[in-house]
Amino acid sequence: MSGEAGKRGSGAATALETGARLAKAEPLNAVLNWSQDALDAEGTRVDAMTTRGPLHAVPIALKDNIVTAEQPSTCGSRILEGYTSPFNATVVNRLRAAGAMIAAKANMDEFAMGSSTEHSAYGRVKHPLDPSRVPGGSSGGSAALVAAGVVPVALGSETGGSVRQPASFCGVVGVKPSYGRVSRYGLVAFGSSLDCISVFGRTVEDATGVLSVISGHDPLEATSVDQAPMIPETGFKSLKGIRIGLPREYFPPDLHPGVRAATDRSIAALKALGAEVRDISLPHSRFAVPTYYILAPAEAAANLARFDGVRYGPRHIEPPDGDVRALYQATRGKGFGPEVRRRILVGTYVLSAGYYDAYYGKAQRMRALIADDFTKAFAPRGVHFLFTPTTPTPAFVAGEKSEDPVAMYLADIFVSAVSLAGLPAMSLPIGRDQGLPIGGQIIAPYFQEPRMLALAAALESVVPGTAEVRS
Amino acid sequence: MIGKEEVIHIAKLAELAVSDEELPKLAEQLARIVSFVEELNQAPAGETAPAYLAGPEMTPLRPDLVDPVPLSLSPAEIAPAFVDGFFVVPRLGAMEEA
Repeated sequence: MSGEAGKRGSGAATALETGARLAKAEPLNAVLNWSQDALDAEGTRVDAMTTRGPLHAVPIALKDNIVTAEQPSTCGSRILEGYTSPFNATVVNRLRAAGAMIAAKANMDEFAMGSSTEHSAYGRVKHPLDPSRVPGGSSGGSAALVAAGVVPVALGSETGGSVRQPASFCGVVGVKPSYGRVSRYGLVAFGSSLDCISVFGRTVEDATGVLSVISGHDPLEATSVDQAPMIPETGFKSLKGIRIGLPREYFPPDLHPGVRAATDRSIAALKALGAEVRDISLPHSRFAVPTYYILAPAEAAANLARFDGVRYGPRHIEPPDGDVRALYQATRGKGFGPEVRRRILVGTYVLSAGYYDAYYGKAQRMRALIADDFTKAFAPRGVHFLFTPTTPTPAFVAGEKSEDPVAMYLADIFVSAVSLAGLPAMSLPIGRDQGLPIGGQIIAPYFQEPRMLALAAALESVVPGTAEVRS
Repeated sequence: MIGKEEVIHIAKLAELAVSDEELPKLAEQLARIVSFVEELNQAPAGETAPAYLAGPEMTPLRPDLVDPVPLSLSPAEIAPAFVDGFFVVPRLGAMEEA
């Protein structure tokens, strides 16, 4: 890896530098677990490696739902307080084999449910550029650590946009791979038909380097697709012959003026590089958020059933002589925070007798229509990529959407359709409005990550991500 | 519309303790979420579409065979005591108070 992540010297020196940065970044509340001893051990391990891997001495933060055998993995929840996995996630083993150093476990919305990282049981994460604002979520801790320059790269997870949305808010690159591209062995499950381990980087090049290392088939994971690790493509010299679709549903008349100015500037840059830009329609995308908020809670209600005080979690029992159901109910009632409880209840409701077909069945059919819109857009004479804003607004102020869960859900309006379709997509910084970063989203067909990243690198080279878009 | 009684019923199905004090707010929030997802009822042609299958077509199905579960660490490495392929547990009664 070249770029910032490739300039590393010894593991021991990186451990010291990273430890100092982590200590300085404490006010962000972006970290749930780190120690200088653990970092030093990682440095010693890397320095003893006989070959220099592609991520040699690169410090990386992991969202706290990706398990390691050395540190606790809480998923931002009280119900997993102090829990340490007996094994490492496949991505952790692959990162270490490539020379990377696990630097910290990052704060997150509890069980990855949220769009602001205000729903962590361990306190909210602050936006590195404006502490009164949110970094996005649910992978807000990972995004904030990369944006603050604590680590050059980090892993998050996406179920419905939880890497692209915080990447956009924080002004970093966030890449969601195709469903099945990266092994989820060791990722705590939320919505199994949607979950993808995803990557944050300061640059497209750094994120590409990490995705190359963690991708590829894993026999330990049933949905892992039988493909070799991703091989990056060399950049586009010109975008002549490349057709880029602008789905009109993602550019509503009331789009935030700063977001519109930034996307307009990027579209002009893509044209200047030779791309053909087309107006297209993804008519079912407007149903993506309600579809997502039926399917993801339904899957979560099933996946989170294991946290009951018997299989996982510290036990509570009320009354003290209660039966096993009283144990389950009290443990889960005390262990889960408000957003997780809401989603478990919604998931249970939509799956309950008499409602299944009206909600879950309907949402599954809508999901097929949403995915089919993308298939049609990417058909042979159609477009090669789609370009949209990642979020409808820049980062919002903490507390602004806390009382209205639906207002919070709509922060994901431009990212959830892609998750439902399982496609690769990414956000990259395309400018700032009043100092706040704005992200542009590129969406690609299945397993076209190498070309998507090459297009992003071309755009990154001509659009300054930190420049103001409105004077 | 979801009311308090319905929340109590769902919470029981979900094995989730809900206090009397939080019930009114929870019922209101769940009603808001459910009425939001009911926007799907405005969708045309949703009745005839096939249900979605997760992932690209190349997502594999595992062969229907009974194999040992591939763990990254063997049970012997994880268990406090493991002898001749068996987990060693305390003798019945050994954990009870005298």
